[in-house]
Amino acid sequence: MSLGWRTRLHVWCRLLLLQASWNYQRMQGLGFLFALIPGLRKIYPEEKWRDVAMRHAGYFNTHPYLAPLVAGAVLKLEEERAVNGEDRSIDIDDFKEIVAAPYAAIGDALFWGGLRPLAAGIALLVAVKGIIWAPLIFLVLFNFLPFWFRIVFFEYGYRQGIGSVDFIQQHNLPDWAIRTKEAAVVILGGLCAFLVFSHLDDHQLPSWPGLLTLVPMILLGWGARRGMSTLLLIFITCTMIFVAGIFWADVAIFLKL
Amino acid sequence: MALELFIGGMVALVCGLDRVAILQILISRPIVAAPLAGLLLGEPLIGLQIGVMVELLWLARLPVGASVPPDDTQVAIAATVLSIALGRQLDALTVELMLLCLLIALPIGKVGQYFEHRARNYNSILLIQTDRALQNGLFGQVQLLHLRGLLSFAASSLLTYLTIVLCGLLLIPPVWPRLQISLSYSAGLLQLALPLIGVAVILGTINVSRSITLFCASFGMALLLMWLVQS
Amino acid sequence: MNLVLTRIDNRLIHGQVLESWVPHVQANCIVVANDVLAANPLKKLMMKASVPSRMRVEIATVADAVQLLLTSTLDSYRVLLLFGTPADALQAYRLGLNYQQLNLGNLHADAGKARFSCTVFLALKDLDDLKSLEEAGVSITARCIPADTERSWRQLIPGRREAD
Repeated sequence: MSLGWRTRLHVWCRLLLLQASWNYQRMQGLGFLFALIPGLRKIYPEEKWRDVAMRHAGYFNTHPYLAPLVAGAVLKLEEERAVNGEDRSIDIDDFKEIVAAPYAAIGDALFWGGLRPLAAGIALLVAVKGIIWAPLIFLVLFNFLPFWFRIVFFEYGYRQGIGSVDFIQQHNLPDWAIRTKEAAVVILGGLCAFLVFSHLDDHQLPSWPGLLTLVPMILLGWGARRGMSTLLLIFITCTMIFVAGIFWADVAIFLKL
Repeated sequence: MALELFIGGMVALVCGLDRVAILQILISRPIVAAPLAGLLLGEPLIGLQIGVMVELLWLARLPVGASVPPDDTQVAIAATVLSIALGRQLDALTVELMLLCLLIALPIGKVGQYFEHRARNYNSILLIQTDRALQNGLFGQVQLLHLRGLLSFAASSLLTYLTIVLCGLLLIPPVWPRLQISLSYSAGLLQLALPLIGVAVILGTINVSRSITLFCASFGMALLLMWLVQS
Repeated sequence: MNLVLTRIDNRLIHGQVLESWVPHVQANCIVVANDVLAANPLKKLMMKASVPSRMRVEIATVADAVQLLLTSTLDSYRVLLLFGTPADALQAYRLGLNYQQLNLGNLHADAGKARFSCTVFLALKDLDDLKSLEEAGVSITARCIPADTERSWRQLIPGRREAD
């Protein structure tokens, strides 16, 4: 390993700012260059900095939690290139392009699509019990895996270089994402049941009619699948509840309940 | 009042930057941001309740690639600040006022998408200067240009927060006396409905083949268990 | 052939496609028609690795993909078809793949391309290709993810054409 731990730590910290200049033209391109600069400065002599930096200034976009894996591998490849010259089986730009979209897809599915609702579901179960530590629980539950990816895979990428793609190929992460999502759906089911149960319990009502909540929920879910926006669904539901609330209050007064 | 808005603004700034620009440790999620704002303003439970209601609403909208999800961070923070600040002013730290603030903040939060969109567009300008700086080998300048992108994201977060808070301050005090009673009839149900809508949207759009079956089974099972334990 | 979505997206398979379009159109098979990708084994492998195993993925050259879709191999699947460029989409249409709708996703900025929307950048040649497709009866719309509003691509054009 020719890059010292200080330089690697510097690059890693800069990766936390990867998306600071996110834009529609090159997305994370500039951010990725920003992160690599301390490493490139160590790898290449000063007269080459400009050319190397220009190569990395183009379009780039991947999942922010998997960007360290790409960055680690790119540093390794740049190192080899600085020593051996350009006659390599793979071009560094090609490597970036090849891994960016699949990593983005995997990260989106695993972290945003799977882990986020799972952690949120568990934290909300705690929150609805009125426990004020719920946000911390969410942060710890969610961030454990992303930081593991960010730290361990940065080093892994730097050690393996181009071989770092093996991990993604061997471990079927998209299937893990689906399992996480399924777990999230189960947790959310429990959360909804608990919310409905507490509501009925507060009003001293029996809990079995709570099963009927599934009907409007499936309707709303169907609406969302048809492309109705969340705001519209909120508007419709809340108006109905509001009007029904007033109406019911009048009926209750009329019946002298 | 001014102090409360200012503290809220600081939370809006820090959490707003976490959404896209830096870190991404998800302090930008409503379940974290709203209780944080509430804690700093001395009413953590109001923040927690708002966090619970907003968290799930747009959880299904993933920040994938170039698509900009609705700014639930600022909606949650602004609704918390409004409920606490106005609650103290109108002497009504109640669930009803909290719901009113939230229901007004939700649609106005739409502007967040517009501002963030503008911020991401504005950052393209940096690229022209970056290319020039690179041509001249000025790395220091390239790095500064990258960090300048933070300013546009910060501006977008703060503008969203301010828009929601200002609209709320204008709209809520006049309508509050008129809606106070009527809202009290439906407050409990509304508070229940918002997380359920969020879950329904997730079920409708999640990439799991039998999501509805799985959900119904888990829901029914849990309800049954709680009923059994209770009786 | 059961095509549920035909899309031009130069990132091909990525988060937007897998996380929002696949559940929206309930596709269970993705066909990528792209000559470059089909010729690069590593790239192909990585693309396939990003898709859950319950989905069928076919990556082929434009000509082969059209062949595949015109036979009955994929009849039992709900197919999501991806092109990388408008030129590929036109080529497929000319080879006899008569899709009715075409979705414009991400077409990245590049030298010589003008900006039509945040995510759609087109060169003059792309414009011509899309026009030919439209004349052939394909309705072309721009929409990144299902939650965005759908716009006819014509709406993107006014005043921007001189930008080249």
